[in-house]
Amino acid sequence: MDKETLRKLELLNQLSLTDAQKADVLGFFANREEELNILNAMNTENTERMVHVMPIMTVVREDVAAQPFSRDDLQKGAPETNQGYWCVPRVVE
Amino acid sequence: MKLYTAKSDTVTAKRIVADDMILTKDMPTAAGSKMLDGYMSLLEAEAVTRLTAAGYGICGKADVGEFAIDLVGETSYYGAPTKDGKLTNASVEIVKSSEAMAAIGLDVNGSIRRAAAQGGLVSVKPTYGTVSRYGTIPVACSGETVCVTAKNTDDCREVLDVIVGHDDKDGTSLSETECAKLKKAMPAKSIKKVAMISEMCENVDAETKAKIDAVRAKLAAKGIEVTVVSEPMLSSARVAWNILMSAELCNNVSRYDGVKYGYRTENYTCIDDLYTNTRTEAFGELLKTVILYGSDALSTDNYMKVYDKGLRVRRLICECFAKLFGQYDAVLLPACSKAAYTEDMVAADKYIAFSENVFTAPASITGLPTVTAGGVQLIGPAFSENALFEAAKLYE
Repeated sequence: MDKETLRKLELLNQLSLTDAQKADVLGFFANREEELNILNAMNTENTERMVHVMPIMTVVREDVAAQPFSRDDLQKGAPETNQGYWCVPRVVE
Repeated sequence: MKLYTAKSDTVTAKRIVADDMILTKDMPTAAGSKMLDGYMSLLEAEAVTRLTAAGYGICGKADVGEFAIDLVGETSYYGAPTKDGKLTNASVEIVKSSEAMAAIGLDVNGSIRRAAAQGGLVSVKPTYGTVSRYGTIPVACSGETVCVTAKNTDDCREVLDVIVGHDDKDGTSLSETECAKLKKAMPAKSIKKVAMISEMCENVDAETKAKIDAVRAKLAAKGIEVTVVSEPMLSSARVAWNILMSAELCNNVSRYDGVKYGYRTENYTCIDDLYTNTRTEAFGELLKTVILYGSDALSTDNYMKVYDKGLRVRRLICECFAKLFGQYDAVLLPACSKAAYTEDMVAADKYIAFSENVFTAPASITGLPTVTAGGVQLIGPAFSENALFEAAKLYE
């Protein structure tokens, strides 16, 4: 992990770190990269990935239209709304 | 010290406190984060619905560390809970004070088990998929589980019995037939042989070592054979879990952008500023680091080297447990390395939760059930909760 890659990750994740935080994060990454050697020492060539620990079936249900929450309810916690719309800064100049 | 983030005036005799990862309709749910400070959910967790229907009352919301990935709750936006100079956990303190008979909470990175072990309580992390995760704040969905903490195994078992069951609203919920295996009425195969993992019991403080020895002696006194077994692979579960948890967390918290709900910065002129400043101002340092680490693990360059490797190692860990359960009925290991944590320890290593979870990661990554009592964890095969409770009753 280098500073440039970290900057890309910040942009990708909509975060902005201070210089001190960046130094901390780089240290964290260095430790994790070192730890990765533990996993790399394990032969997983013939081992299948395990995404779910239990056999999970795809959940199916009747295709019935419903409106569990009203728009007003959904917007109760919104930072800013106007006439039923969520407000954000202008994105098209 | 703020134990409750919200309180209810429930008058029910059987009072349960829900940690702040569990959604409630009548009280806010913040997940210990500035991002969700004051957030009122439109729905409640299935566990809450089941408890309420069975006559239990939710007496309040207990503070948690930000998105429950820390040691015991020290990263909460509302401040680290401390007692006598040591870090403690809000749910544990509320149960110990008898303000609630039990606590329910979301175990993401082992904080509930560490807190129960240090606080002298009993906690159960049930088999993955047997308690609905509907209505919990999602963080690391493939391993997180709704847990119960109480003063003794009987109370823990009673509350677990209520919340266990299939739920159509949770895509990872197991069938009712499988969930029923956990019901306390089901006969349990008694635990006769326990494997104590040597590597896990070495680097712990004297008090924790004494707890392990005491449990071992009590089990032996009851005729349960405890064998010290070397199984270094279990220690590597931590590395794999850190990868998987971070990757899943990174995706799950991407929804918090300051638009639809939650915190919004006042400092923005364009949409990118709004997103970035909202997340930068609202998320804590540990969380930001984990987001970045998870994002890196999922990047094109690292997906196969890191994330995919973590998934394959998860299978190896499961196979390792299966091998152990071929010879032993349960696995004994500590829940943490120290009798208590202090703020100084966290100040010296702010990422300590990523090393201390060496004890909790094996059960998190495999979804296996764990009963924490007497300061140690007893891990069993899937659906072995009743047997674990019976054994834990001998030394709780």
